[in-house]
Amino acid sequence: MMTPTIELDGLEVQLGGRTILHGLTGVLKSRAIGLLGPNGAGKSTLINTLLGFHVPSRGSARMLGFNSHTSGKALRSLVGYMPENDAFISKMSGVRFVRYMAEISGLPSEQAMERAHEAFVYVGLGEARYRPVGTYSLGMKQLAKLAQAIAHGPKVLILDEPTNGMDPPARKRLIELIREIREASDICLLLSSHLLRDVEETCDEVLILRNGKIASICNLVEERRANRKFLELETLGAEATFTTALESIGCECAVFSSGRIKIVMPDGVEIREVFKVAADRGVQIRRMNHRRDSLEDIFLNAMEQTGAADGRL
Amino acid sequence: MAVYKRRYNSYTGSLTPAWSRFFVLTRFAFVDLFKSRFFVLLLILCIVPCLLSAGYIFVANNKTVQLLMQLRSGDFFVVENQYFIVIMIIQAEAAFLLNCWVGPVLIAGDLTNGALPLFLSRPFSRVDYVLGKLAVLGLLLSAVTWIPCLLLFSLQSGLAHDGWIWSHLWMILPMVLCSAIWILMLSLLSLAVSAWVKLRIVATGVIFIIFFIPAGLGEMFNHIMGTYWGALLNFSYMFRIILERGFRDPYRLLDLSGRNEIPVAAAWSALMVVCLLSLVILNARLRARETVRG
Repeated sequence: MMTPTIELDGLEVQLGGRTILHGLTGVLKSRAIGLLGPNGAGKSTLINTLLGFHVPSRGSARMLGFNSHTSGKALRSLVGYMPENDAFISKMSGVRFVRYMAEISGLPSEQAMERAHEAFVYVGLGEARYRPVGTYSLGMKQLAKLAQAIAHGPKVLILDEPTNGMDPPARKRLIELIREIREASDICLLLSSHLLRDVEETCDEVLILRNGKIASICNLVEERRANRKFLELETLGAEATFTTALESIGCECAVFSSGRIKIVMPDGVEIREVFKVAADRGVQIRRMNHRRDSLEDIFLNAMEQTGAADGRL
Repeated sequence: MAVYKRRYNSYTGSLTPAWSRFFVLTRFAFVDLFKSRFFVLLLILCIVPCLLSAGYIFVANNKTVQLLMQLRSGDFFVVENQYFIVIMIIQAEAAFLLNCWVGPVLIAGDLTNGALPLFLSRPFSRVDYVLGKLAVLGLLLSAVTWIPCLLLFSLQSGLAHDGWIWSHLWMILPMVLCSAIWILMLSLLSLAVSAWVKLRIVATGVIFIIFFIPAGLGEMFNHIMGTYWGALLNFSYMFRIILERGFRDPYRLLDLSGRNEIPVAAAWSALMVVCLLSLVILNARLRARETVRG
């Protein structure tokens, strides 16, 4: 059986006398996990706890089977971490900074140097690698942080708000990089963000936090697969015979004005069969949409539900 | 992840032993230090007294040179325990100056831009971090204290008459031990200050303040209360007491207004307390994440 990426068992974390995480329990098995939640929801605290920076006051957190508290060192040997805030040594050149971090992770000096160069070129900072990190722009600093997180070839990549302060093209490039890294290896990804698009574009499973509690755990892959079964059509032609024919192959149909039809397709029925039925009945399909039950819907739904549970909107 | 391929690959090569990784910090710090001409100059200046002392030992053991230089042999050319006390004191002061220049930047540079979480998110503990930084000062200050003193001792042993080394072998222990406590105290203190104060000039100032203000307050306390216990706040003086007792100085070379009555254990304790307080500060400051209370 595959080890879950993250296991939370009644995890409670108190900081400065306040409870930040309230008994989180859940299992996340996907390779790419998104942490979502409004500011102050506890995303960074959860990441810091997984890294062993905070000691749980109750319960436990495990990553790839390693307890964050009792096996912290073993766990951190698998991790590449890109923190949310500024984290660099300003007077060091970019490549030396990454080499330094790679050596601390245990790479021998020569390999660390080689991989530091590779990581810098890979993230697109090849030209700037000999400049002191302190002179980098905000976007470049983010990329340098990513370079130091991947240089030692971790098994888990933890990215805390990676696109913070980046302009749209830089953000797009970073998201592409993250997707490339995910697809090019067996690396596990934990990405924390309050930007739904970042998570939607890179993750398979989402843990939504609110006020230190789990608002929802959602498998985006299954959600996307389920969404494919819901179709919205705009048609022109014999609607009644078309819907009857669709119902005869097992679809559920709801007809609205102006030729709009909503269809729920049963398992085993593919979209091409809908086209075939339409062609047979001489019906034109002017527009076809999958239901867009996006991450935004899931997120808002989770926020509403927990808000109601908390007695708040 | 080869450059020409521009593709991510995980690392599958060998790793260095976990226990040795703290030395990466030391190595990188030394590379940075030796880029500074001022540091190199300071280091050379710190070793100059030992070079002069080597010349002195050579002359003291060479009658021909003494005759050539028309110097009269006598008490002036005695190389005994008091001679080594003086050399140790000079080198301890040199170590203090070197420490004031090097120490304040060691941790502050990592804390200024929040690099500490990057160290601690790796299989690298806070103890490893402090050890790595401590090793920088430990090696550097050793290079200007007990190592040159041992070399001088060896030189004297080689040049003096046959029985000298055996009758003075005991001096190696106080030489190493006294240097060790002084180096440990200076290193921990400057690391604690470096973890607290980010600007080098301010941090250097704070180290001077820590050394001289309590010493002055201690003097005031002694005068007002008619005691000598206030000298416990004079760390340099505590070091001298340890040195003097360690080197079995019967003449109390450093005797000043009866303060030599302070037991050597109290002097050791005073320096150990400074070390402990520094560790407490380091423990409080070196956190991957700060916790806001309330």
